[in-house]
Amino acid sequence: MKILVALKPTYDINQLKFDSEGVPLLETCPITLGEADKCALEEALRIKESNKAIVIAVTVGESQSHIKGIRDALAMGADEGYLIKMKNAWNISSIAVAKAIASFAQLTGPYDVIFTGAGAGDTHSSIIGPMISALLDFRLIAGADQVEVSENMVKATCKMEDGTYYYESDLPVVITVTSEANEPRIPTLKAIIRSKSMPIKEVDPSVLSLSVEEFKDLKVLKHSIERKRIILEASDQKSAEESVEKIITFLKSEGVI
Amino acid sequence: MRTKLLAYSEDRSWAAQIKSLSDSIKAEASIFLPKKEIAEKVSGLYEEIYYSDLENFDPLAYISAFFEVAKLLSPEVAVFPCTGKGRILAGLFSAKNSKSVATDVYNVQSKENNLIAKRLVYGGKAEVDLELKIPATICLLHGSYVEAKANVESRFNKVIKPNASCRVIFTPKKVEGMEPDKAEVVVVAGRGVKTKNDLRMIMELAELLKGAWSVTRPLAVDEGWAESWIGISGLMVSPKLYIGIGVSGQPHHMMGARSSKIVVAINKDRNAPIFDECDYGIVGDLYVVLPEMIKKLKNMKQK
Ligand SMILES: Cc1cc2nc3c(=O)[nH]c(=O)nc-3n(C[C@H](O)[C@H](O)[C@H](O)COP(=O)(O)OP(=O)(O)OC[C@H]3O[C@@H](n4cnc5c(N)ncnc54)[C@H](O)[C@@H]3O)c2cc1C
Ligand SMILES: Nc1ncnc2c1ncn2[C@@H]1O[C@H](COP(=O)(O)O)[C@@H](O)[C@H]1O
Repeated sequence: MKILVALKPTYDINQLKFDSEGVPLLETCPITLGEADKCALEEALRIKESNKAIVIAVTVGESQSHIKGIRDALAMGADEGYLIKMKNAWNISSIAVAKAIASFAQLTGPYDVIFTGAGAGDTHSSIIGPMISALLDFRLIAGADQVEVSENMVKATCKMEDGTYYYESDLPVVITVTSEANEPRIPTLKAIIRSKSMPIKEVDPSVLSLSVEEFKDLKVLKHSIERKRIILEASDQKSAEESVEKIITFLKSEGVI
Repeated sequence: MRTKLLAYSEDRSWAAQIKSLSDSIKAEASIFLPKKEIAEKVSGLYEEIYYSDLENFDPLAYISAFFEVAKLLSPEVAVFPCTGKGRILAGLFSAKNSKSVATDVYNVQSKENNLIAKRLVYGGKAEVDLELKIPATICLLHGSYVEAKANVESRFNKVIKPNASCRVIFTPKKVEGMEPDKAEVVVVAGRGVKTKNDLRMIMELAELLKGAWSVTRPLAVDEGWAESWIGISGLMVSPKLYIGIGVSGQPHHMMGARSSKIVVAINKDRNAPIFDECDYGIVGDLYVVLPEMIKKLKNMKQK
């Protein structure tokens, strides 16, 4: 069985700061592989252990963070790691990323399963996986919290807004995995050292026959919502009573209670 | 010629919000809904209503039915709700057309022959203006547009049910009380709430305010105290009143509550990020403040 895992290094947006003009300070924001992406890789590695599979990790982008992301995937246990060298990877459109991964899969496949995260850690659009499925005509399991892959079938449970869906599907399939699916393994020191000597293969996007529109005017700015920010203190019982009294009056005059 | 827009929805509220978006860019809107029962509920909102008799959510079957309608109408704009399912379908649809999707969109304007969509990124901390070349696919955030009123004569058109792509078994979620994405008041417990038993207070407050209760992701996922949570990876809500109790207000959570009319926070840490985006806040121990609030509301009710 051959498995592809698409991984995206993502900004830790809890730590994202902005300058006085509202421009995000991305250079100083820490970057790691998305949580869900690591869970996707973990699922692939579990299949490899129980079913014999070869696991390929790929990322679209060429920055140091992308290289580090693939290096981490190799340390976790991926057999091969690839970098699709697209400039400005943070700003290209979702279809460009999906097409790059899909054509890479055609070039290096055939694959039985393609895993992605259910949502990227920073932008969280949750659409790259479905796009790859559409581009390659693969089946799709999206948002899996539990996955079980055998020779010719996948069983998965996906929690969605209205309840839980249990799916059984044929292969080949794209599976997007949530960060609730498992506890991704932490590589051993030995594995980390071993991964350092493994090659990270580079793919020139020109071999992927891409021709896609890109979003123009990608100017990211701080989004501020107008809120009243009336903050009251409740350091003891008495101030708590007073503050609650005031809040209730405010909410009544807002007409929301 | 007017822009043609095709919407996807599974309920009336979404259908009415997308209709408003459509009116605001003066588009000619049609809609597809997976089932007849739901289609009937949007009567009067759209002139052309398409429906099928699809069963449990099978993404590939759902999108092929939507495609049938798209082939018929050749819409310039396709709009899906920014829900788990809506995102999946938007991705499938746009990739078949080799186009991008603008997700997390809260405003759309037309500009010459194209569209400008305002999109939230980084958990809603930042925004981007996207110039979308037509044909475009959009995932709309809940609460971005007010619901349109029913004012047209609807024609109903049936789409033949496509083949299933997989086997699906569906278990609807259990809701204790009201559903957060349909309620006007949502009370949310965060990790500041220490035990499952203490959730009773949250539920009691929700009940007094005739609203729903929910939690942040760690309480649902790590503690298992609830089946769903509010946030970008859970439910997106836009009630009149959101009250976060012991919630720190990290972006992934707040993204799900951003379009609430009024945001109230109770947290003992003055530096919690939720205080930067609330209307009213109380800095204090929830175990002191909450009982007080419940007591006062009960008294009010009795009077
Ligand atoms: C890709 C991704 C997607 C995510 N999606 C979601 C999502 O959809 N929804 C979601 O909720 N999270 C989501 N998260 C997690 C999110 O980043 C936060 O970790 C989470 O929202 C924090 O939950 P919390 O506020 O309950 O806990 P904490 O951040 O631990 O905050 C607890 C708060 O309680 C306060 N507190 C403690 N004791 C008391 C007391 N006695 N009285 C008053 N206040 C008290 C503390 O001061 C603190 O501010 C996501 C994360 C990622 C990476
Ligand atoms: N630049 C990228 N390179 C490789 N995989 C990606 C990239 N962007 C997104 N993905 C994959 O697609 C998933 C969903 O991303 P998104 O649709 O942006 O939320 C991520 O969790 C990754 O697995």
